[in-house]
Amino acid sequence: MARTSNGIELEGTVLECLRNATFRVELQNGHKVLAHISGKIRKNYIKILPYDRVLVELSPYDLTRGRILFRYRN
Amino acid sequence: MSPVEFSDAVLLSRVAPGQWHALEDDLVVGRGEASRRPDGRMFVSIDAWHDVAFDRLAAAMLAALPRPLHTVVDEADLDLTARWRRAGFTVRRREWEYAVPTDPRVTGLDSVPPPTGVTIKAFGSAEQAPLHALDRAIRDEVDAGPGWPDMPAEVLARPVLDPSKCAVAVESGRYVGLLRIAMVTRLPRIGLIAVLAGHQRRGIARALLAHALGALHHIGKQTAAAEVTESNVAATALFAGVGGRRTGGNLELVLR
Repeated sequence: MARTSNGIELEGTVLECLRNATFRVELQNGHKVLAHISGKIRKNYIKILPYDRVLVELSPYDLTRGRILFRYRN
Repeated sequence: MSPVEFSDAVLLSRVAPGQWHALEDDLVVGRGEASRRPDGRMFVSIDAWHDVAFDRLAAAMLAALPRPLHTVVDEADLDLTARWRRAGFTVRRREWEYAVPTDPRVTGLDSVPPPTGVTIKAFGSAEQAPLHALDRAIRDEVDAGPGWPDMPAEVLARPVLDPSKCAVAVESGRYVGLLRIAMVTRLPRIGLIAVLAGHQRRGIARALLAHALGALHHIGKQTAAAEVTESNVAATALFAGVGGRRTGGNLELVLR
Protein backbone atom coordinates (compact mmCIF):
# COMPACT_ATOMS: atom_id res chain seq x y z
CA MET A 1 0.00 0.00 0.00
CA ALA A 2 1.40 3.36 -1.00
CA ARG A 3 1.66 6.15 1.50
CA THR A 4 -0.26 9.01 -0.08
CA SER A 5 -0.63 12.70 0.51
CA ASN A 6 -3.40 14.97 -0.63
CA GLY A 7 -0.96 17.84 -1.06
CA ILE A 8 -1.38 21.29 0.41
CA GLU A 9 -4.91 22.41 1.25
CA LEU A 10 -5.59 25.94 2.47
CA GLU A 11 -8.61 28.09 3.14
CA GLY A 12 -9.07 31.24 1.11
CA THR A 13 -11.49 33.88 -0.08
CA VAL A 14 -12.58 34.29 -3.67
CA LEU A 15 -11.56 37.72 -4.96
CA GLU A 16 -12.69 37.54 -8.55
CA CYS A 17 -14.41 35.26 -11.05
CA LEU A 18 -12.37 35.28 -14.26
CA ARG A 19 -13.66 34.58 -17.73
CA ASN A 20 -11.81 31.35 -18.42
CA ALA A 21 -13.53 29.27 -15.71
CA THR A 22 -10.94 30.25 -13.12
CA PHE A 23 -11.08 32.23 -9.90
CA ARG A 24 -8.58 34.49 -8.18
CA VAL A 25 -8.40 33.37 -4.55
CA GLU A 26 -6.56 35.01 -1.65
CA LEU A 27 -5.30 32.35 0.74
CA GLN A 28 -5.19 32.75 4.50
CA ASN A 29 -1.43 33.33 4.28
CA GLY A 30 -1.97 36.28 1.96
CA HIS A 31 -0.83 34.53 -1.22
CA LYS A 32 -3.05 34.84 -4.28
CA VAL A 33 -3.62 31.90 -6.58
CA LEU A 34 -5.58 31.11 -9.72
CA ALA A 35 -7.93 28.21 -9.10
CA HIS A 36 -10.29 26.04 -11.10
CA ILE A 37 -13.24 24.37 -9.46
CA SER A 38 -13.23 20.64 -8.87
CA GLY A 39 -15.30 18.30 -10.99
CA LYS A 40 -17.39 17.37 -7.94
CA ILE A 41 -18.36 21.02 -7.40
CA ARG A 42 -19.26 21.40 -11.08
CA LYS A 43 -21.27 18.16 -11.13
CA ASN A 44 -23.28 19.42 -8.18
CA TYR A 45 -23.81 22.89 -9.70
CA ILE A 46 -22.33 24.66 -6.68
CA LYS A 47 -21.89 28.32 -7.55
CA ILE A 48 -18.70 30.12 -6.52
CA LEU A 49 -18.98 33.87 -6.03
CA PRO A 50 -16.66 36.66 -4.95
CA TYR A 51 -16.25 36.75 -1.14
CA ASP A 52 -17.04 33.02 -0.81
CA ARG A 53 -14.77 31.21 1.64
CA VAL A 54 -13.34 28.13 -0.02
CA LEU A 55 -10.91 25.26 0.54
CA VAL A 56 -8.17 25.24 -2.09
CA GLU A 57 -5.78 22.42 -2.96
CA LEU A 58 -2.52 23.83 -4.34
CA SER A 59 -0.87 22.27 -7.37
CA PRO A 60 2.29 20.36 -6.38
CA TYR A 61 3.84 21.59 -9.63
CA ASP A 62 2.95 25.30 -9.42
CA LEU A 63 2.09 26.93 -6.10
CA THR A 64 0.33 29.80 -7.88
CA ARG A 65 -2.31 27.38 -9.18
CA GLY A 66 -5.00 25.55 -7.29
CA ARG A 67 -8.31 23.78 -7.31
CA ILE A 68 -11.35 24.75 -5.25
CA LEU A 69 -12.45 21.62 -3.38
CA PHE A 70 -15.14 23.01 -1.11
CA ARG A 71 -17.22 26.13 -0.55
CA TYR A 72 -17.96 26.95 3.06
CA ARG A 73 -21.35 28.20 4.16
CA ASN A 74 -20.58 31.76 5.13
CA MET B 1 -6.34 0.18 -1.72
CA SER B 2 -5.14 -1.99 -4.60
CA PRO B 3 -2.62 -0.74 -7.17
CA VAL B 4 -3.80 -1.60 -10.67
CA GLU B 5 -1.17 0.03 -12.86
CA PHE B 6 2.32 1.43 -12.58
CA SER B 7 3.83 3.17 -15.54
CA ASP B 8 5.96 6.27 -16.05
CA ALA B 9 5.80 7.09 -12.34
CA VAL B 10 1.99 7.39 -12.28
CA LEU B 11 0.28 4.72 -10.19
CA LEU B 12 -3.47 4.26 -10.52
CA SER B 13 -5.57 2.96 -7.69
CA ARG B 14 -9.30 2.33 -7.31
CA VAL B 15 -9.81 3.44 -3.73
CA ALA B 16 -13.58 2.86 -3.59
CA PRO B 17 -16.23 1.52 -6.01
CA GLY B 18 -16.63 4.96 -7.64
CA GLN B 19 -13.29 6.57 -6.84
CA TRP B 20 -9.86 6.40 -8.45
CA HIS B 21 -6.58 8.08 -7.52
CA ALA B 22 -3.52 8.78 -9.67
CA LEU B 23 -0.35 8.79 -7.56
CA GLU B 24 3.08 10.15 -8.32
CA ASP B 25 5.82 9.97 -5.70
CA ASP B 26 3.16 9.08 -3.12
CA LEU B 27 1.31 12.27 -3.97
CA VAL B 28 -2.24 12.28 -5.28
CA VAL B 29 -1.95 14.04 -8.64
CA GLY B 30 -5.38 13.10 -9.93
CA ARG B 31 -8.78 11.99 -8.70
CA GLY B 32 -11.61 10.38 -10.61
CA GLU B 33 -15.14 10.00 -9.36
CA ALA B 34 -18.28 8.35 -10.73
CA SER B 35 -21.79 8.66 -9.36
CA ARG B 36 -25.36 8.20 -10.52
CA ARG B 37 -27.85 11.03 -10.75
CA PRO B 38 -31.44 10.52 -9.63
CA ASP B 39 -32.45 9.92 -13.26
CA GLY B 40 -30.13 6.88 -13.34
CA ARG B 41 -27.43 8.35 -15.60
CA MET B 42 -23.82 7.94 -14.51
CA PHE B 43 -21.68 11.09 -14.31
CA VAL B 44 -17.90 11.08 -14.02
CA SER B 45 -15.39 13.76 -13.10
CA ILE B 46 -11.60 13.86 -13.13
CA ASP B 47 -9.37 16.42 -11.45
CA ALA B 48 -5.77 16.01 -12.52
CA TRP B 49 -2.72 18.23 -12.35
CA HIS B 50 -1.41 17.07 -15.72
CA ASP B 51 -2.52 15.38 -18.92
CA VAL B 52 -0.82 12.06 -18.22
CA ALA B 53 -2.70 11.62 -14.95
CA PHE B 54 -5.97 12.65 -16.58
CA ASP B 55 -5.56 10.29 -19.53
CA ARG B 56 -4.63 7.33 -17.34
CA LEU B 57 -7.52 7.97 -14.96
CA ALA B 58 -9.90 8.30 -17.90
CA ALA B 59 -8.67 5.06 -19.45
CA ALA B 60 -9.06 3.15 -16.17
CA MET B 61 -12.50 4.57 -15.42
CA LEU B 62 -13.86 4.08 -18.93
CA ALA B 63 -12.68 0.49 -18.91
CA ALA B 64 -14.45 -0.21 -15.64
CA LEU B 65 -17.73 1.71 -16.00
CA PRO B 66 -20.82 0.94 -18.07
CA ARG B 67 -21.80 3.23 -20.99
CA PRO B 68 -23.18 5.75 -21.52
CA LEU B 69 -21.09 8.02 -19.30
CA HIS B 70 -21.71 11.72 -18.83
CA THR B 71 -19.73 14.64 -17.50
CA VAL B 72 -20.18 18.41 -17.13
CA VAL B 73 -17.60 21.05 -18.03
CA ASP B 74 -17.60 24.82 -18.06
CA GLU B 75 -17.66 25.71 -21.74
CA ALA B 76 -14.95 28.31 -21.07
CA ASP B 77 -12.64 25.61 -19.74
CA LEU B 78 -11.11 24.67 -23.07
CA ASP B 79 -8.34 22.51 -21.59
CA LEU B 80 -10.71 20.27 -19.66
CA THR B 81 -13.11 20.03 -22.59
CA ALA B 82 -10.20 18.99 -24.84
CA ARG B 83 -9.16 16.32 -22.35
CA TRP B 84 -12.63 14.78 -22.33
CA ARG B 85 -12.85 14.97 -26.13
CA ARG B 86 -9.53 13.12 -26.28
CA ALA B 87 -11.15 10.38 -24.19
CA GLY B 88 -13.96 10.09 -26.76
CA PHE B 89 -16.65 12.28 -25.19
CA THR B 90 -18.85 14.47 -27.40
CA VAL B 91 -21.18 17.38 -26.61
CA ARG B 92 -24.74 16.28 -25.85
CA ARG B 93 -26.25 19.60 -24.78
CA ARG B 94 -25.45 23.10 -23.59
CA GLU B 95 -26.91 24.79 -20.54
CA TRP B 96 -26.83 28.57 -20.15
CA GLU B 97 -26.33 30.25 -16.80
CA TYR B 98 -28.32 33.45 -16.38
CA ALA B 99 -28.05 36.35 -13.96
CA VAL B 100 -31.59 37.66 -13.67
CA PRO B 101 -32.19 41.16 -12.30
CA THR B 102 -34.92 41.51 -9.70
CA ASP B 103 -35.62 45.26 -9.93
CA PRO B 104 -39.06 45.72 -11.54
CA ARG B 105 -37.78 48.89 -13.23
CA VAL B 106 -35.28 46.70 -15.06
CA THR B 107 -37.37 43.58 -15.61
CA GLY B 108 -40.49 45.48 -16.69
CA LEU B 109 -42.53 43.07 -14.58
CA ASP B 110 -43.98 45.63 -12.16
CA SER B 111 -47.20 45.83 -14.17
CA VAL B 112 -47.60 42.18 -15.15
CA PRO B 113 -50.86 40.82 -13.73
CA PRO B 114 -51.56 37.08 -13.74
CA PRO B 115 -53.78 35.83 -16.58
CA THR B 116 -57.53 36.18 -16.02
CA GLY B 117 -58.77 33.67 -13.47
CA VAL B 118 -55.27 32.93 -12.15
CA THR B 119 -53.98 34.04 -8.77
CA ILE B 120 -50.46 33.72 -7.38
CA LYS B 121 -49.98 32.28 -3.91
CA ALA B 122 -47.00 34.01 -2.32
CA PHE B 123 -43.96 32.23 -0.87
CA GLY B 124 -44.98 30.53 2.34
CA SER B 125 -48.71 30.46 1.68
CA ALA B 126 -49.13 27.28 -0.39
CA GLU B 127 -50.74 24.30 1.30
CA GLN B 128 -48.74 21.08 1.53
CA ALA B 129 -51.20 18.58 0.04
CA PRO B 130 -52.04 20.42 -3.22
CA LEU B 131 -48.39 21.50 -3.52
CA HIS B 132 -47.26 17.87 -3.45
CA ALA B 133 -50.03 16.94 -5.89
CA LEU B 134 -48.80 19.64 -8.29
CA ASP B 135 -45.18 18.46 -7.97
CA ARG B 136 -46.29 14.88 -8.72
CA ALA B 137 -48.32 16.02 -11.73
CA ILE B 138 -45.41 18.06 -13.12
CA ARG B 139 -43.02 15.13 -12.71
CA ASP B 140 -45.50 12.75 -14.35
CA GLU B 141 -45.76 15.11 -17.33
CA VAL B 142 -41.97 15.30 -17.66
CA ASP B 143 -41.71 11.51 -17.39
CA ALA B 144 -44.30 11.08 -20.13
CA GLY B 145 -42.86 13.83 -22.32
CA PRO B 146 -39.33 15.14 -22.70
CA GLY B 147 -37.93 13.11 -19.79
CA TRP B 148 -35.31 14.23 -17.31
CA PRO B 149 -32.03 14.10 -19.23
CA ASP B 150 -32.50 17.62 -20.63
CA MET B 151 -33.43 19.13 -17.28
CA PRO B 152 -30.85 20.96 -15.18
CA ALA B 153 -29.57 18.78 -12.37
CA GLU B 154 -31.23 21.07 -9.85
CA VAL B 155 -34.68 19.70 -10.64
CA LEU B 156 -33.77 16.01 -10.83
CA ALA B 157 -33.93 15.03 -7.21
CA ARG B 158 -37.23 15.06 -5.37
CA PRO B 159 -36.69 17.99 -3.04
CA VAL B 160 -38.44 18.41 0.25
CA LEU B 161 -41.20 20.77 -0.85
CA ASP B 162 -40.91 23.73 1.47
CA PRO B 163 -43.83 26.14 0.92
CA SER B 164 -41.62 29.03 2.05
CA LYS B 165 -39.54 28.50 -1.10
CA CYS B 166 -42.44 28.00 -3.50
CA ALA B 167 -44.77 30.41 -5.28
CA VAL B 168 -47.82 28.77 -6.81
CA ALA B 169 -50.29 29.71 -9.55
CA VAL B 170 -53.89 28.77 -8.78
CA GLU B 171 -56.78 28.51 -11.23
CA SER B 172 -60.30 27.47 -10.22
CA GLY B 173 -58.94 26.31 -6.89
CA ARG B 174 -56.36 24.00 -8.48
CA TYR B 175 -52.59 24.49 -8.26
CA VAL B 176 -51.38 24.69 -11.89
CA GLY B 177 -47.93 26.28 -11.77
CA LEU B 178 -44.91 26.29 -9.50
CA LEU B 179 -41.77 28.36 -9.05
CA ARG B 180 -39.21 27.11 -6.56
CA ILE B 181 -36.38 29.25 -5.20
CA ALA B 182 -33.23 27.91 -3.58
CA MET B 183 -31.40 30.34 -1.32
CA VAL B 184 -27.79 29.32 -1.97
CA THR B 185 -25.55 31.40 0.30
CA ARG B 186 -25.88 34.96 -1.03
CA LEU B 187 -27.26 34.22 -4.49
CA PRO B 188 -30.87 33.08 -4.76
CA ARG B 189 -31.41 30.57 -7.52
CA ILE B 190 -34.54 29.86 -9.51
CA GLY B 191 -34.58 26.10 -9.21
CA LEU B 192 -37.72 25.33 -11.16
CA ILE B 193 -40.50 27.05 -13.07
CA ALA B 194 -43.18 24.66 -14.31
CA VAL B 195 -46.76 25.05 -15.50
CA LEU B 196 -49.07 22.09 -16.15
CA ALA B 197 -49.47 21.28 -19.86
CA GLY B 198 -53.09 22.34 -20.17
CA HIS B 199 -52.34 25.79 -18.74
CA GLN B 200 -49.22 26.78 -20.68
CA ARG B 201 -48.77 29.66 -23.14
CA ARG B 202 -50.99 32.00 -21.14
CA GLY B 203 -48.38 33.97 -19.21
CA ILE B 204 -48.53 31.98 -15.97
CA ALA B 205 -44.77 31.36 -15.86
CA ARG B 206 -44.14 35.08 -16.44
CA ALA B 207 -46.57 35.96 -13.64
CA LEU B 208 -44.81 33.52 -11.29
CA LEU B 209 -41.46 35.02 -12.26
CA ALA B 210 -42.77 38.55 -11.71
CA HIS B 211 -43.93 37.58 -8.23
CA ALA B 212 -40.68 35.80 -7.33
CA LEU B 213 -38.34 38.51 -8.59
CA GLY B 214 -40.44 41.19 -6.90
CA ALA B 215 -40.27 39.31 -3.60
CA LEU B 216 -36.50 38.93 -3.89
CA HIS B 217 -36.11 42.61 -4.70
CA HIS B 218 -38.20 43.45 -1.66
CA ILE B 219 -35.73 41.65 0.64
CA GLY B 220 -32.75 43.35 -0.98
CA LYS B 221 -31.59 40.70 -3.46
CA GLN B 222 -30.50 42.38 -6.68
CA THR B 223 -29.90 39.27 -8.79
CA ALA B 224 -31.07 35.68 -9.05
CA ALA B 225 -29.35 32.83 -10.86
CA ALA B 226 -30.97 30.38 -13.24
CA GLU B 227 -29.86 27.60 -15.59
CA VAL B 228 -31.64 26.88 -18.85
CA THR B 229 -31.03 24.24 -21.48
CA GLU B 230 -30.14 25.96 -24.77
CA SER B 231 -32.86 24.08 -26.65
CA ASN B 232 -35.58 25.26 -24.24
CA VAL B 233 -36.71 28.20 -26.37
CA ALA B 234 -39.59 29.20 -24.10
CA ALA B 235 -37.41 29.40 -21.01
CA THR B 236 -34.55 31.27 -22.70
CA ALA B 237 -37.08 33.77 -24.10
CA LEU B 238 -38.65 34.17 -20.65
CA PHE B 239 -35.33 35.03 -18.97
CA ALA B 240 -34.00 37.13 -21.85
CA GLY B 241 -37.29 39.05 -21.87
CA VAL B 242 -36.84 40.21 -18.28
CA GLY B 243 -33.26 41.38 -18.77
CA GLY B 244 -31.54 38.13 -17.84
CA ARG B 245 -27.88 38.16 -18.82
CA ARG B 246 -25.92 35.07 -19.84
CA THR B 247 -23.00 34.71 -17.46
CA GLY B 248 -21.66 31.42 -18.70
CA GLY B 249 -22.53 27.99 -19.89
CA ASN B 250 -21.97 24.36 -19.11
CA LEU B 251 -21.51 21.58 -21.61
CA GLU B 252 -22.84 18.13 -20.87
CA LEU B 253 -20.60 15.61 -22.60
CA VAL B 254 -21.41 11.99 -23.25
CA LEU B 255 -19.52 8.84 -24.16
CA ARG B 256 -21.89 6.28 -25.67
